[in-house]
Amino acid sequence: MAEKMTPFERIEAAYRMEVPDRVPVTPIICYMIPYLAGLTIREMFTEPERHVQAFLQFRDLIGDNCEPNILVLDHLSMLGRAGWDQVTLDWRIYDKFPPDGNVPNLYEKPIIEDYDDVIERGFAPLLFNKKLENRVWTRSVDDFLYYQYEYRERWARAWREFVEQTGIPLLKGGRACHPLDLLQYYRGIFNLTMDIYERPDKVKQFCDWVWEYEAYHAMDIAMTMGAGEVPGADVIFFINGGPPGMSPDIYNEFYWPYAKKMIDTFVNRGFKVWNHWDNDHTPFLETIKTVTDGIPKGKIVMDFEKTDMKKAKEVLGGTVCIAGNVPSALLVYGTPEQVDAYCKQLIEDCAEGGGFILEAECEVPWDSKPENIRAMIQAAEKYNPYR
Amino acid sequence: MGKLADALVALDKNAALAATQEALQAGTDPLALVNEARQGLEVVGEKYDCGEFFLMELMRAAQIFQSVAQVLTPKIVEAHGGVKTSGKVVIGTVAGDIHDLGKNIVKILMECRGIEVIDLGVDVKTERFVEAVQKHRPQVVGMSALLTASVSEMKKNIEALEAAGLRDSVKIAVGGGIVGEIDNSVLGADLATVDANEGVRQIEQWLTA
Ligand code: B12
Repeated sequence: MAEKMTPFERIEAAYRMEVPDRVPVTPIICYMIPYLAGLTIREMFTEPERHVQAFLQFRDLIGDNCEPNILVLDHLSMLGRAGWDQVTLDWRIYDKFPPDGNVPNLYEKPIIEDYDDVIERGFAPLLFNKKLENRVWTRSVDDFLYYQYEYRERWARAWREFVEQTGIPLLKGGRACHPLDLLQYYRGIFNLTMDIYERPDKVKQFCDWVWEYEAYHAMDIAMTMGAGEVPGADVIFFINGGPPGMSPDIYNEFYWPYAKKMIDTFVNRGFKVWNHWDNDHTPFLETIKTVTDGIPKGKIVMDFEKTDMKKAKEVLGGTVCIAGNVPSALLVYGTPEQVDAYCKQLIEDCAEGGGFILEAECEVPWDSKPENIRAMIQAAEKYNPYR
Repeated sequence: MGKLADALVALDKNAALAATQEALQAGTDPLALVNEARQGLEVVGEKYDCGEFFLMELMRAAQIFQSVAQVLTPKIVEAHGGVKTSGKVVIGTVAGDIHDLGKNIVKILMECRGIEVIDLGVDVKTERFVEAVQKHRPQVVGMSALLTASVSEMKKNIEALEAAGLRDSVKIAVGGGIVGEIDNSVLGADLATVDANEGVRQIEQWLTA
């Protein structure tokens, strides 16, 4: 067995598919903690210092043995507020950005009608379209500049201090969406399906145009977060696995080529990539196995949601680290015993030889039972295949 | 199966619309054509059930059916004086939840079987469900739910229908991801399923019973 590792070393070992001292465990609790601390989503984004305080306050929940993974999904945040991200995310139910409540509402909104126009003129005409987004129109220059410069730094400073105080690494520095993911927001999944069949060339033209922008934006944010200095800030969180229920043809033509291109770009520039891919990717595991082709190994985590983890280990084991997938519903409605049993099984199925991280399906639901999160973290201690 | 049904199974919208026009010009009864399109969509549904087709393909077939129905509905009204429906269903995604892919598929599958669907959309508050039942007097209420937080919303809706004295007048079907992951007996629904085809079959049975 390896000697006792720090959370950072443990995660690093997992990326490299080496055997750590135990299975790393990284439930994404970025919504649950503010919820427990009585912070609204609005507060957690506008006042990062309070968000950090909330994490410190709830350290007993996670103990010293968790490597979380203080992940803050900045596609929900305002790091993009100066850019075009804001228009695309309509926090519908609260009508306020970000919302006052605790539900991280993202909503699809068919703001793109004319692909050509976007490809030609960019997002600015959409961004400053009063009908689409009144709030952007009415913002002052000061507000705009604040979010473009000061806010980013304030955010990065708060989290850097957190890492320094706790020794817990960040799960990620920057965030990138797959082009199909962006389209799932900008067009809606129903329309996107129509587009893929009726104007496939336009969809591809859009993807060709947007992927680089998205990739460089992510790396830029990661640099602000301290990539190279702050542990974990060099990780790009690459979401979200595309629309549900792609056929293999659609996957191979519209999803995979762009996913691979973006991953290569990140890795070739020295970043690591945490592929947070929702939906069931089981039918595509053989394709995913080629993810490390042409790039150095040990830089990628495949973080799955509904994908069959046992099959994922069979196909991807030895190629790339996998992470997953304690169900959201279990964390809310299950008992600690059930969570424990689920984790035990996952560890049995996936941990052999290293290259596995115990993780929830997606972010941990804000309404999960704290004792279930504790059970998950304790399971990583309890069922240690590397002992 | 005829050309139209074949085109649906091949997910070829242009061919489906062309076959529809061709048959209409040849004097085929538009009702017979709707039935043929329905057959095609059913085959797609079966292929989806057995894993041969993926969700996007089912969604695509449903879209093609919708386009064909758009052409045929006015012709049916012309030829038969109206569209005969086999019952009424009110459907919506519960409060706080905006996931609607599943709901929309179920809706089209029901419409394809000649069921009138009143779609309340997403984030539907309890009062709106109750009002819709009072106003439209459906035989069935369908609810879709994917968030963990939506479970209590489903319960709340069913209780509100009870309190309003409407529970006995409707059957309640619930679906959506979260339904597959919890113990459904707590909900008090008449049907809980994450299988759209199964759901629609059961709803059809209720309507014809
Ligand atoms: C696509 C998706 C989205 C899209 C939704 C687009 C849309 N127009 O619906 C977007 C990106 C907008 C989104 C947003 C969010 N999502 Co979301 N999303 C998903 C995802 C990946 C797929 C859901 C889906 O569409 N499946 C396909 C459909 C067709 O399946 P289905 O709904 O189950 O429907 C089938 C059956 O159930 C049945 N059916 C459905 N309804 C009905 C009704 C009746 C009457 C009947 C008979 C049958 C029936 O028929 C369908 C066909 O068979 C799931 C994870 C997953 N893999 O399931 C997460 C998931 C549902 N999302 C989740 C979350 C948390 C969110 C967000 C809060 C944001 C976030 N931080 O991720 C917001 C929520 C906003 C809100 N207030 O609701 C969680 C919910 C768990 C929880 N914590 O409560 C999930 C489970 C991810 C996870 N593992 O944690 N999401």
